[in-house]
Amino acid sequence: MDFRFALALALPLAIGLAAIGSGMGLGRAVGQAMEAIGRQPEAAGKIQTAMIIGAAFIEALTIYALVAFFLLQGKIA
Amino acid sequence: MGLEFITRIIKTTAVVSLVVSLCISYYFDWKIGLGFLVGAAWSLVNLFFIRTLIKEVVSPNEARKSITAVLALLKFPLLYVAGYFIVASEFFSVYALLAGFSLLFAVIVLKVLGRLILGLDVPGVRNKQPEGTA
Repeated sequence: MDFRFALALALPLAIGLAAIGSGMGLGRAVGQAMEAIGRQPEAAGKIQTAMIIGAAFIEALTIYALVAFFLLQGKIA
Repeated sequence: MGLEFITRIIKTTAVVSLVVSLCISYYFDWKIGLGFLVGAAWSLVNLFFIRTLIKEVVSPNEARKSITAVLALLKFPLLYVAGYFIVASEFFSVYALLAGFSLLFAVIVLKVLGRLILGLDVPGVRNKQPEGTA
């Protein structure tokens, strides 16, 4: 198998997996946070802050994958 | 630890990234320094959009739907298309970009560690008076 062919096959799969993982993580985090806010509305500020930080960390992983994708994409052609 | 914590993180990261990028530009190369600054800006814009979106959507008042929609539509083209052009242009060092992008998370971790060590989030610890002084 040619190096470029393998890369062209693996790159979309890798970015797709990263997006799926990130989406599942974000969905779970936000869902749990909503539940927690529903149970304790007085703690909404603290929960929101933790959720925002968590969301930023989760999304950063996808952006790292995206940067790797952009970098390696140039090697296919 | 309310939403003002996020604002403090954004301000701290902006100042630190500016200082670090100036140091990098002076001691190494201005392109590396600029790449670091652009990476940090990317990360800051990302956090800003996440904060604004979550604040609008989770607000107990009725969400301003038009603003939320505009923000959601702006976030992806602005961040990812701009990111593509930044990386594809090969003008900036990718390592500097990623280091700048990671700075925000280092700031978050250090700030949270500081709060943990000082016990700022434990109820009663912050205002605890030593015995006999009250």
